[in-house]
Amino acid sequence: MGDAVLTQFFSGFSLVAILIIAALGLAVIFGVAGVINMAHGEFIMVGAYVASVVQSGLGGNTFWSIPICFVAVGLLGLVVERTVIRGLYDRPLETLLATWGVSLILIVIIKMIFGTELHYVGSPEMLQGGFPAPGNLPFPWYRLFLILLSILLLVLTFVLFFRTKFGLAVRAVRRNRSMSEAMGINTARVDMLIFAYGSGLAGVAGAVLAPIKTVSPTMGFPYAVDSFMVLVMGGVGNLLGVPVGAAIIGEGETILAFLFNSVIGKLLVFLLIVLVIRIVPRGIFGYQERTLGHRR
Amino acid sequence: MTTVAAAGRFNLRREPMFPLWSIAGVAAVVAILATYPLYGTEYVMNLLGMFVCFSIFALSISLIWGFAGILSLGQAIYFGMGAYFIALSLKLSYAAENPTRYGGTIPDYMEWNGLTEVPTIMAPLMHIEVAIVCLLFFPTLLAFIFGVITFKRHIYGVYCAVITLAEALILQEFIIEYQAYTGGFNGITDYETYNNMYFLWVILGVAVLLFAASRLLTHSRIGTVLKSVRDNDVRAEFNGYEVANYRIFVFCFASMMAAIAGGLYAAWMGIVSHLDTGPILSIEGVIWAAVGGRATVIGPFIGTFLVKGAEFFLSEQLAWAWQLVMGLLFIFVVKFMPDGIMGTIGKSIAMGRQRAAYAESEDAFQSGPMAVITRLRSAFTDGNRGFMDNLLGRSGRRD
Repeated sequence: MGDAVLTQFFSGFSLVAILIIAALGLAVIFGVAGVINMAHGEFIMVGAYVASVVQSGLGGNTFWSIPICFVAVGLLGLVVERTVIRGLYDRPLETLLATWGVSLILIVIIKMIFGTELHYVGSPEMLQGGFPAPGNLPFPWYRLFLILLSILLLVLTFVLFFRTKFGLAVRAVRRNRSMSEAMGINTARVDMLIFAYGSGLAGVAGAVLAPIKTVSPTMGFPYAVDSFMVLVMGGVGNLLGVPVGAAIIGEGETILAFLFNSVIGKLLVFLLIVLVIRIVPRGIFGYQERTLGHRR
Repeated sequence: MTTVAAAGRFNLRREPMFPLWSIAGVAAVVAILATYPLYGTEYVMNLLGMFVCFSIFALSISLIWGFAGILSLGQAIYFGMGAYFIALSLKLSYAAENPTRYGGTIPDYMEWNGLTEVPTIMAPLMHIEVAIVCLLFFPTLLAFIFGVITFKRHIYGVYCAVITLAEALILQEFIIEYQAYTGGFNGITDYETYNNMYFLWVILGVAVLLFAASRLLTHSRIGTVLKSVRDNDVRAEFNGYEVANYRIFVFCFASMMAAIAGGLYAAWMGIVSHLDTGPILSIEGVIWAAVGGRATVIGPFIGTFLVKGAEFFLSEQLAWAWQLVMGLLFIFVVKFMPDGIMGTIGKSIAMGRQRAAYAESEDAFQSGPMAVITRLRSAFTDGNRGFMDNLLGRSGRRD
């Protein structure tokens, strides 16, 4: 029993890595721009379709599709930000509804282009197979690749936020928007670029998800909800919130799904999330702004 | 701006609780809907009853979102709970009287899933009275627990929306997973439905009652506090109101309302499935309320009939086009019409009235005996114009 749980623990790593990759883009957008991007799941879906085009049309594998998806979905995000979200920054709840509309439109467009049938995307040859790990099941190379990629993306985002001049502007905007405007930071530009960056990360998530999941127009929504749960759990005040939230939710869901079933697992994790925010309302690493204005 | 204070006093004139035009309008609409079965087709009657149920559901969303500022993306949880209670009850009593193909007296889906008798916990639901009590009690209880956990800790806005969304998703998966008890993916169907003119009257009666109750609530003291909580909760707290309690109250009220709508829907439609509890219906309800006017009582009704009617009209022509229209509708309403149809109309009427009152007061205070006092007062208070300009009522300089 303990051995089997240990196996589940290791296989849970892949879900954790997926959650980190999927939630990172959302955390960046929500944390900095304050926009609730309900279309995040559909951005992931578009990324997966771009990956399938890269494979079938250009003959490239996942390593090729990661940068291509980043750029393609990042550009998509840029367009969405310029057309839909601009002008809604002071109404976060309404960005939620508007981006939900974007997600419906994206699903229709993808259905019109690719049809409703499932698409298959293979994983790169050098990542097929696995190596023995504690427990009984082999540990697939692709899972290790996911874990390394999630760490790489976290480090890249950290460097972008804390070691560049742009990151300094981003953090200033996140802390105090009007003051950073007074200091000469172009906050509209920061919002736009951050939205594009977060969308690009969603594209990367789609690219690496495509080989292990079925690619369909409606695949995105569950990931968006799971990513939101990661943010609620971990908080958006700190980059650490994403890996910690993803670890608790991913491992919790995998192990509890093994012990009971997947629905009970999800329910228990959800109750845990509710319990956590009951104690720390802004998530484990979140912070509550000291404000006399309207709380959001 | 000599008479801002005076014009403000005219604005305080309260609207009557039920203005004459609204009573007349509601009476006309109810008369049309109630007599429709006499001359209309059954198909359209079916749709009308469904729309009325959905409009009660949209009203519950409008109450918590438009009047209290809580955006719940899981309001369909309560709608679905109500629907499942009633559907289960009707199904159990139907099965007891009509044996299935294999001779059992339990619902067919339970038989398919290997149950031999109705689980004891569900058995009392066979009596419709028990189901109605459950419908009124359990959704409200769940809403209360949820409200105590979140609102007492000042969790609302975005966080609340996301958590309720996840809640709806989990309930939906729960229903699909435990199909022996809930009918699973196919839902509960094939029971005695109440799909006739008399039940349409019942639905209409309940709807009118609930709309009137909502009007009473939102135009009472509680409603005023709720609106101030929506606009700035911190200030409302500073004024001594326990903000969370007001939110919990309205959330429970709206959830009970959604459950009632669900119960009527189940009895009317004769089919309840996991789709009636999920996030999709919740968000659709939000858009119905938003289109009609989320901070109005009658808006959800109009929004539901417009959007849902357009859906049935359009999806007959082009199924995929509807989703595109829906997506564009979301963006359009949020960006260009955040007050919805009724909200926009209401605002323009209020603005017109304000202008009229202002003009009226301007006249009164320009010539009457009050004019001297007003001018004297504004001479000291209106900094935008010179002292003498104010005193003489000249337009003076403006910044």
